[in-house]
Amino acid sequence: MKDSAYKKIAEELSNKDAGNIELVGLTDFGKWKIARFRLKNGLEVLILPDDSAPVVNFQTWFRVGSRHEQEGKTGLAHLFEHLMFNETETLKAGEFDRKLEASGADTNAGTSVDYTHYYESVTSDRLPLVIKMEADRMQRLVLREPQVASEKEVVANERRYVVEDDVDGSASELLYKTAFTDHPYRWPTIGWMRDIQAFTPSDCEAFYKTFYAPNNAFIVIVGDINVRAVLKSILGAYGAIPRAEIPPEDITPDAPQMSERRVVLRKPTPAIKVIVGYRGPALGDADHATLVVLNEILLGGRASRAFRSLFIRDELVSDLRGWVSAFKHPGLYEISLTGRTDVGAEKLLSAIDEELEKVLVDCVTQEELERAVARVELSLVQTLETMSGKAEQIGLYEVLVGQVDAPFRKLEQMQRLTPSDLRIAARRYLRKEARTIVIVEPSAEDASEVEDPELASGTSSSAVSVADGAA
Amino acid sequence: MSASILTLSSGTKVYVEPARELPVVNISIGFAVGSANDPDGQEGLFRSAMRMLRRGAGKLTAGDIEASIDRLGAEMALDIASSFSSIHAQVLRRNLQPFTDLLTTLLSEPAFSEDEFERLRRDTVAEIIEGRDNDRSLVQRAFRRSVFALHPFGRRTTRASIERLSRDGLRDAYEQKACVKNLVLAFSGDLDEKEARDLGERIVKALPKPKEPAVRSIPEPTLQKGRHLVFVDKPERSQSQILIGGLGSRADDPDHFPLLVANAIFGGTFTSRMMREIRSKRGWSYGASSRLGVDCIRQDFAMWAFPAAQDTAPCIALELGLLNTFREKGISAKELAFIRQYLVRSHAFDIDTAQKRMQQFMDATLLGLPEGYFTDFRKNVNAVTLESANQAVKDRISTDDLKVVVVGTFRDIGEKVQSVIPDLVKTTVWPFDDD
Repeated sequence: MKDSAYKKIAEELSNKDAGNIELVGLTDFGKWKIARFRLKNGLEVLILPDDSAPVVNFQTWFRVGSRHEQEGKTGLAHLFEHLMFNETETLKAGEFDRKLEASGADTNAGTSVDYTHYYESVTSDRLPLVIKMEADRMQRLVLREPQVASEKEVVANERRYVVEDDVDGSASELLYKTAFTDHPYRWPTIGWMRDIQAFTPSDCEAFYKTFYAPNNAFIVIVGDINVRAVLKSILGAYGAIPRAEIPPEDITPDAPQMSERRVVLRKPTPAIKVIVGYRGPALGDADHATLVVLNEILLGGRASRAFRSLFIRDELVSDLRGWVSAFKHPGLYEISLTGRTDVGAEKLLSAIDEELEKVLVDCVTQEELERAVARVELSLVQTLETMSGKAEQIGLYEVLVGQVDAPFRKLEQMQRLTPSDLRIAARRYLRKEARTIVIVEPSAEDASEVEDPELASGTSSSAVSVADGAA
Repeated sequence: MSASILTLSSGTKVYVEPARELPVVNISIGFAVGSANDPDGQEGLFRSAMRMLRRGAGKLTAGDIEASIDRLGAEMALDIASSFSSIHAQVLRRNLQPFTDLLTTLLSEPAFSEDEFERLRRDTVAEIIEGRDNDRSLVQRAFRRSVFALHPFGRRTTRASIERLSRDGLRDAYEQKACVKNLVLAFSGDLDEKEARDLGERIVKALPKPKEPAVRSIPEPTLQKGRHLVFVDKPERSQSQILIGGLGSRADDPDHFPLLVANAIFGGTFTSRMMREIRSKRGWSYGASSRLGVDCIRQDFAMWAFPAAQDTAPCIALELGLLNTFREKGISAKELAFIRQYLVRSHAFDIDTAQKRMQQFMDATLLGLPEGYFTDFRKNVNAVTLESANQAVKDRISTDDLKVVVVGTFRDIGEKVQSVIPDLVKTTVWPFDDD
């Protein structure tokens, strides 16, 4: 569609009774174009028409995640996400999923530290139903005790699955709890078990009224659609929902970390694990792309430096991974090592330290840099294969960075990097005095142990992101 | 959609679907033979043989190969199932030709060096040990082992079987199985038919030419009588992983689609009977589902849930009750109408990309599925009647002959679990690290 066509549609749809809609702008997104519209109540709609298949993906993103929770109420954003599939003033409990399944829809949701998003994949002819139902639960959700009680049990079981009985989940939770002392990233998105079990319907009601409003949300639509008809449906369904007063965020950032922190977790696992968390940049920081490329060189795939030395040459590990957290605020650069039989934690640490120290001193080679960027490029292309993949990229970068075309900009930035840029980033972030280390040791007998009094209460564990649905 | 089937000079059929939306090419190289025919005691032989392909070929070391794959913006993955095997690759369009050079070198000149072979053995043992951390994987392995027992599908790779492998054995397995006779090819993405034909011919030319190619030969499994509890004992479990089931369906059974439709009602969707009763009403498990496996022989039927340790026994009792009701009373006309709509409409998402359509071709061909299994999916679902669905459940799903497989802490819940399984004929306890 031409730019003028989008503008004409927006003008035609303006309606004093239902509320106005305006075209805010158009943004290139690879070979596609994204049109951004805004309703008078603040709801933004990002549309990418794609007729490669007769299907559409519809996503609703709320700018609320676990970082907006309070101590003692952790896990509320995630529990609430579950409750959004329950009852509304117009639909009985269970009817939301039932109606969508009858339409052949694939629907689910996910909660992160920074956001919550809901999505449906449907054939194009069923999109009006999705719009109607999503608008309904944005304003008319009903929260009653039986559903809240049952869903708390479901979430407690989800927590047992991804944290309590999962060694990596437990270790990740402990890493963030230890690394962050003030920032809300210190608690897990799924919440502490004691908090999950204590929630009441009134907690959920207050959360709903505070954060679930059109001016705290945006919609992403990718697929085979008639833009004019879709906007008309959106205006009709959402136009009358009132804005809400979203409380200003009051987050205390962590003071600079001045010394290394270590904690030991004992679990019934056959292998010692070491998880190291260096202070990392926010997704929107210029350094994020640089650190991602550095991580690819160090730990990305079987040709990476650490794989070649720790896995192949010295056979110290059975698994190793690196990840630069993609958060709104500065997070961690995580390195995870799983030792082979009889390989101790100190041996693992000294081996990975040896690799990290090399990039502090010497520049990586141009060939390594190009390989790393090619890996990232393929990975980006893979995320764009489906309608839902495109919608997720758009939503993620909109909510975290405020730039829907950021995936492409980041790739371009990576293609301009020099080996010297990587060494500068390495020196900025790979600082031993500002790292946190979790060591997982096999427990000799029963009973998990954590050498940390708060976590030892059995309320420990992780998940910086929780993707739901488990059938 | 503009897929076509090309015929190469060897007679090999190639599925080709050009799709220009993204600058990437998808390559799938399949062989209609898998690990089921590994010799007794050498489980893991064919998987190991295929893994050796990227551990040295021609003049390239393992490190050279990995660096090349990354430099070209490519990925390669192996899928070694019991009845088939495949190599999936993706590469940025601009690097298709150099990647083809690399791929054909791996296929035609695998080194099978002694050093890399020994390293692979050690890596595999480390992976087996690390796998003990994954409870879901533990329950799946135990379920398959118990349902199929001595059948080739029930065999598993162990540290002992890996120790028995030899380098020559791996080379022989590769040459006899990964050959043109067993080959199925499919390409999609940013390439045209001529490029696809050239790519196919080069792959054919690169493959081994054995005098006696291995042929897939897998017997039908037999149903084991009675109710059997298999408990995988692991300490400190706050939650249990449960699989309950037995044998299910063959894709060419006349009642395959009726059973598939009935199963979708029972445990195939978010609003299925299992989800409603186990998750929505009781909050006992984050997920609850049932599935019918599809393969070249009769596959399994399995119900899955993962409740807290204290809810394990009541959850198993509930599941057995649900299964009994499913078999005795069947599904209703209303349920059938609902699930037909769901399956027919949601099928759009099984075929919404060229890569997915290509994969369906591979699955259908490698498993020898009946003609039109995927392409006539909607028609077959719509043809299911209430009578055919309910009769299929009665005929194919047994409530008397069942395996109940649990990963949990036996001393905490073992006795209670045994007490809720009526007519239990046997309990077997396997240590979780029995590998």
